[in-house]
Amino acid sequence: MQTRKILLSEDEMPRQWYNILADIKMNPPLGPDGKPVNPEALAAVFPMNLIEQEVSTERWIDIPEEVLKVYSIWRPSPLVRALSLEKALDTPAKIYFKNESLSPPGSHKPNTAVPQAYYNKVFGIKKITTETGAGQWGSALSFACAQYGIECKVFMVRISFDQKPYRKSMMAVWGGNCIASPSNETKAGRDALEKDPNTPGSLGIAISEAIEAAISDETGQTRYSLGSVLNHVLMHQTVIGLEAKKQLEKVGEYPDVIIGCAGGGSNFSGLSLPFVYDKLNGKQIDIYPVEPSACPTITRAPFVYDHGDTAGYTPLLPMHSLGHGFVPAPIHAGGLRYHGMAPIVSQLVSEGIMEAKAVTQLEAYKAGIIVARTEGIIPAPETNHALACVIDEAKKAKEEGKEKVILFNWSGHGLLDLAAYDNYFSGKMKDFILTDEEMLKSEEIFANYPKPALLKNR
Amino acid sequence: MDTSKDSLERRCPRLGSPVSFRYCMLYGDNSLPCWKIFDCWWEAFDVTTYLKLNLSEDQFNTVVNSKPKPKITSLIELIEQAKKRNS
Repeated sequence: MQTRKILLSEDEMPRQWYNILADIKMNPPLGPDGKPVNPEALAAVFPMNLIEQEVSTERWIDIPEEVLKVYSIWRPSPLVRALSLEKALDTPAKIYFKNESLSPPGSHKPNTAVPQAYYNKVFGIKKITTETGAGQWGSALSFACAQYGIECKVFMVRISFDQKPYRKSMMAVWGGNCIASPSNETKAGRDALEKDPNTPGSLGIAISEAIEAAISDETGQTRYSLGSVLNHVLMHQTVIGLEAKKQLEKVGEYPDVIIGCAGGGSNFSGLSLPFVYDKLNGKQIDIYPVEPSACPTITRAPFVYDHGDTAGYTPLLPMHSLGHGFVPAPIHAGGLRYHGMAPIVSQLVSEGIMEAKAVTQLEAYKAGIIVARTEGIIPAPETNHALACVIDEAKKAKEEGKEKVILFNWSGHGLLDLAAYDNYFSGKMKDFILTDEEMLKSEEIFANYPKPALLKNR
Repeated sequence: MDTSKDSLERRCPRLGSPVSFRYCMLYGDNSLPCWKIFDCWWEAFDVTTYLKLNLSEDQFNTVVNSKPKPKITSLIELIEQAKKRNS
């Protein structure tokens, strides 16, 4: 029988996180006044020991023993060879994934929630506030705070609070106090409710509430916590990639391709940054952050001659196009829009160290179903984006006849996201369903343009 | 306002749960549509034309050109706002 899981013992767990800021140059974050931020400005919401990590340029940061103890509840996570998926795809590629769905809350999020709770505790903080959308981060932080005896207050956006009762229940089990945002507990919440008592809330209001709740504690014993984007968050997540490296070494492998879904960038960075370190030192690896497609592709667009620009200055070129007037320039910029993405990932993409990939939501769910039916685990919807790219790469390896090693991060399970799968099965989820009327309208622009011949070379 | 798209649903990548198009239209910053509305809805219908028809030119341009501030910048702004609310 072929080995499926490559395991590390608890003794083999990495003892340090990798901090990529030792190896790359970044523009400093700017404050609202346009000047570089003084780290002290964040002291109202973060403990100083975490602020020090945020700006540190030390390459290796020790993982405290007390954090390792909690990590050991589910870490080291297994590195799994996706043998059934390989067989289903009939690919020569070897596909490995880090299974981060095995943490108590079911995602990679506690990799940073645990150290954040720990550093707050060490700093003398008694209560942490945060915001959450559907509850993944709120449940991870509630779990982490329970481990260190810290109070946790989670402002959950009302619309998700009503839709996802089980996340709220998870938080309650771990002692987290999850309340719907907007709430009456903050002025930001009260203002929003006064404006619209039936508001479903938004992440913007929930963040405002969590920050207000932190800074309005006059005892100074409350701080705020954020689960993505920031440098120290990404650094805590590198435990994923550092473990993966050790596990691959055990079987004499090294990845040719690394793939992860990239929303805020934390799970993707967690897996990839330790390998970026190798790439910066000469290793040849393709590293792909994957996000939802951001601009129209050729799905139903007619094959026409069109200008490549909205103004119509460039020569007519044969292309699949919805009309050069269809999408305004800032949106039609193509590729991924890194709005809300971790600055470290944006920087590495702009330098060409990583190459952004995009998949449609339909491709993502289709991939998720294939993988669930082969590897067994039901993926979180965001993980599905990575899976679509993994399948593409595995098929490419087959076409090229190459035995590539593909490594990806299984960032979480989808057991509390089954409504999204129901929508997929019921056909509610569709790619590009322009009505005929809308299609005709966008094609009108081509009426007087020449039509290209549909040439085939084979 | 054309309400024919209001009940369309998709998963919000920011929240991680399903939302209606109406939610995306109404609950961005300053009661404008969410800054991700183009990226999220282009797969379903011609959201650009829809917004052009249903927003004023100024509102449309604001949404097209809006992007979230870097996290640290927005955190500092939120801290300042919260301090003002508490003073």
